[in-house]
Amino acid sequence: MADKKKVLIVEDDEFLRSLTAKKLEGEGYEVIVAVDGPNAISSIPENAPDLIFLDLLLPGGKDGFDVLTAIKADEKTKNIPVIVFSNLGQKEDIEKAKSLGAEDFLVKANFTLDDVILKIKEILK
Amino acid sequence: MSWLSFVFITEPSFWVFFVLFFTGAFCLGYYWQGKESRVKILIEEANLKTTQIAELEKVNQELEKKNRELYSKELELTMANKHLQTLEQAKSKFVSVTTHQLRTPLAAVKWTLDMATKGELGIIDEEQKEFLGKGLTSVNRVISIVNDLLKIDSIDSAREEYDFKPTDIVKLIDDVFFEFNNQASVKKISLVVEKPKTAIPYIDLDADKIRMVLENLIDNAIKYTPIGGQVTVRLLDSRINSVEGALEISVSDSGIGIPPEETNKVFQKFFRAANAIKNEPDGSGLGLFIAHDIIEKHNGSIWFKTNSGKEGSGGSQGTTFSFTLPLHQKKV
Repeated sequence: MADKKKVLIVEDDEFLRSLTAKKLEGEGYEVIVAVDGPNAISSIPENAPDLIFLDLLLPGGKDGFDVLTAIKADEKTKNIPVIVFSNLGQKEDIEKAKSLGAEDFLVKANFTLDDVILKIKEILK
Repeated sequence: MSWLSFVFITEPSFWVFFVLFFTGAFCLGYYWQGKESRVKILIEEANLKTTQIAELEKVNQELEKKNRELYSKELELTMANKHLQTLEQAKSKFVSVTTHQLRTPLAAVKWTLDMATKGELGIIDEEQKEFLGKGLTSVNRVISIVNDLLKIDSIDSAREEYDFKPTDIVKLIDDVFFEFNNQASVKKISLVVEKPKTAIPYIDLDADKIRMVLENLIDNAIKYTPIGGQVTVRLLDSRINSVEGALEISVSDSGIGIPPEETNKVFQKFFRAANAIKNEPDGSGLGLFIAHDIIEKHNGSIWFKTNSGKEGSGGSQGTTFSFTLPLHQKKV
């Protein structure tokens, strides 16, 4: 595979992060991870991922909404599709993420990683 | 003596004196008598006034006492209300935090079991696969209950606060469809809206609550429809110009239907049809209960037609849930 797509996973839960990474790597994606808000904000321009999975509740003083705002404010990164992958799932959170420019919003517990792969394929096609 | 009397009687001055004396005496007597009765009346009046004042004072005191009691009751009520509000807020916060904290580890268990069942975490035999699959089913059930708890909490915390506003129902349905695109596409189910050619007027409704009803009905329809099926939302304007003045909305699926022996329990709390549990074990049985509650609060009604494909039932399999929404809510 010449053009291995690069996916960034922003997730503070170690186990969820490693499961998602394992699944994505198994599907042939290159996976990079960020464990908190500031970590994600500095990593994105540097690594220029093709797609970002973004958790909303993040440690480090910057939450997912802050990260999303930073991505969309930067000319170089604003076109990277962001899938918000959280457990908040309240209507206000979904609306807020959409208005900030998120491509989609998935409540983690309501989807399997297979659904996630389908979603990625759809967006990166 | 008689002589003397005679002299007097014949004397004119005597008569003058006589008349004057008696007139005066009479007048005086009359005057005194009148004065006496007027005084009597005055005294009676005064007595009456005094008793009335005393009574009024008593009433006044009682009123003040009642007032004080009312005030302290009001204070008590305000305190109790504040206490309830705090409790309610604490409960809501507890539920939303807990459910969120629950969802993260639940997602981890679900994903692990899902990958393990598919052999993505190493080769497993049939027996292991079966047990892991049952584990996955159970965790999905818990996730669904957590989701419904969140819904119930959001209804409970806004139980009295129905915010009826003229709403574009067509747009609301579009929004809900957007939300279910992922879920439907996974099962290759097409979501279809059928609406009348004439424009649908804005309807007085609480958009968040009606959204919940549509979500519940569409969610069920997708769940119980086999892969490749269809879920249709229909808007019927036949009752708009009737006395009732209501829009009818229905959600139809080509799913497994509800067994006839269970149709009377559909809107009960925690109801789960036997065939539903077999097909989709992760429901909580709260969705239709919630929907029923919301439609009632909108002064509408909700009902269903179903065909579980059992012998003699004829027709095509599936369930249609319908509800009416009055165009206008009476001002309270």
